[in-house]
Amino acid sequence: MAISGDLKVFVGTFASHRPPKPPVPVSKIRFGRVLKGASDLRIVQKWLQAESPAGSTVKHSQVCHGMGGNKLSPTVNQDAEGFLLNVVNMNFFDRLSLAWRILFPTAKERNNSNASIAKQRLKMILFSDRCDISDEAKQKIVGNVIEALSEFVEIDSQDKVQLNISTDTDLGTIYSVTVPVRRVRPGYQDSEEDYSGKISNIEYKDTGETSGTVDVTFDFFLPNKK
Amino acid sequence: MSSPFPHLLPSSPLSPSLPLLFLPSKTLSPRHRRRSAVTAALQWNRKPQFAGETPRVVVVTSGKGGVGKTTTTANVGLSLARFGFSVVAIDADAGLRNLDLLLGLENRVNYTAVDVLNGDCRLDQALVRDRRCPSLELLCISKPRSKLPLGFGSKALTWVVDALRSRPAGPPHFVLIDCPAGIDAGFITAIAPANEAVLVTTPDITALRDADRVTGLLECDGIRDIKMIVNRVRTDLIRGEDMMSVLDVQEMLGLALLGVIPEDSEVIKSTNRGYPLVLNKPPTMAGLAFEQAAWRLVEQDTMTAVMVEEEPKKKGFFSFFGG
Repeated sequence: MAISGDLKVFVGTFASHRPPKPPVPVSKIRFGRVLKGASDLRIVQKWLQAESPAGSTVKHSQVCHGMGGNKLSPTVNQDAEGFLLNVVNMNFFDRLSLAWRILFPTAKERNNSNASIAKQRLKMILFSDRCDISDEAKQKIVGNVIEALSEFVEIDSQDKVQLNISTDTDLGTIYSVTVPVRRVRPGYQDSEEDYSGKISNIEYKDTGETSGTVDVTFDFFLPNKK
Repeated sequence: MSSPFPHLLPSSPLSPSLPLLFLPSKTLSPRHRRRSAVTAALQWNRKPQFAGETPRVVVVTSGKGGVGKTTTTANVGLSLARFGFSVVAIDADAGLRNLDLLLGLENRVNYTAVDVLNGDCRLDQALVRDRRCPSLELLCISKPRSKLPLGFGSKALTWVVDALRSRPAGPPHFVLIDCPAGIDAGFITAIAPANEAVLVTTPDITALRDADRVTGLLECDGIRDIKMIVNRVRTDLIRGEDMMSVLDVQEMLGLALLGVIPEDSEVIKSTNRGYPLVLNKPPTMAGLAFEQAAWRLVEQDTMTAVMVEEEPKKKGFFSFFGG
């Protein structure tokens, strides 16, 4: 069972019904991210009223959570009861890990807070608004790119060249031009005959100035015999 | 920089029964105590230093409506007037008039800028002086009872600002132009005479998108000096990670921050009474924030946002339990 929803726990310590005891202030522990759609919680005062002879502290808690992924829980009050029943049935270590995850949420849980969602959306929107380019400029970009590439490759058909504008979380706005290419022009082709007998990747481990010997590694190309 | 606290000033500086704990501790004979009381009062009444050229024409704009432009204009203008600078606030909305309501001067507006342009009255007749704070004057453009289209363009507003600059009483120190919402003709009219802009925004995503658009338009128009005021900030929501923090807003928009105004119900109350927020004694949170923003506006200063959120808990010894 994984708790992957928004969790807000109000832990209130309530004094007993004896007047001389001063009321203990309600402390609120907030953790996890905020549930979409059920974000305001109320302290249910009549929950879990344990009468003890000392009667000093009674824990009132109300928890709302979403189980498993992004599924939203139906109502707050129903889930409080269901959750606590489930918790009671868990063994000790499960409860301990649940408590740990509640008290110390992971980075992933923190990133799904409303504020960070809003920030992500705003980033996307700002990037796409700021880079609002006119159609005329798009045509010119496509034309220039075709002209620049035509020197090196043969383009399949000029109508199929497309300019796409997209946004990326890390880089921002991405302009991509897709160009279908038929073949490379003869002057720029990478042919095997050029490579035979060619020495490349020369590395000098010892140039021989001090020791008198030269230590060299290099690559020598031999074409496959077909 | 601390803003002045006028309510700490003794009511009559020359009375001998002054509360001595407000004075700096100096051992003086009783004869000199009166004179030092006056100088001490002047020390407490610090004024910000005026930066820039006179007059400073500032347009208060936002793009999205309802974020607090008119409230900001009224309160910042009144704070500036209380510091001692002469301020003219212009309500550049040619159709709907609001700044006079916020300042409580709606009964006293007889002539508007349209009348001045038509030649029906002089400029100083159209300027409404506030009795509570005499250095603030209000100029409205729209005549709500007129059915004809007004046709008040950027040239007209520029003419008005130039007339203010060269009026016989001397140019005002500040001209605050309250811009209408949107980015159409009213906006273009309002930003025409301005040299600087104060962009009012709230930390929600819709206002920020519009603010970004407006920033682009302002820079196109030649206004480079754009500062931001973030209004209606709820620190409880920011701490609960439900609202974007001011740091996030600054990062997204990339503008210098002039002030952060918290959400305050006093704004509504003071609008209803026609008594601007900054005149409240004791000052409210929003009123103090407006005063500090006005101080920074005068000195052409900016502030840096402060992180409200707590640091995320570091993973400790028991991290093998989960998470």
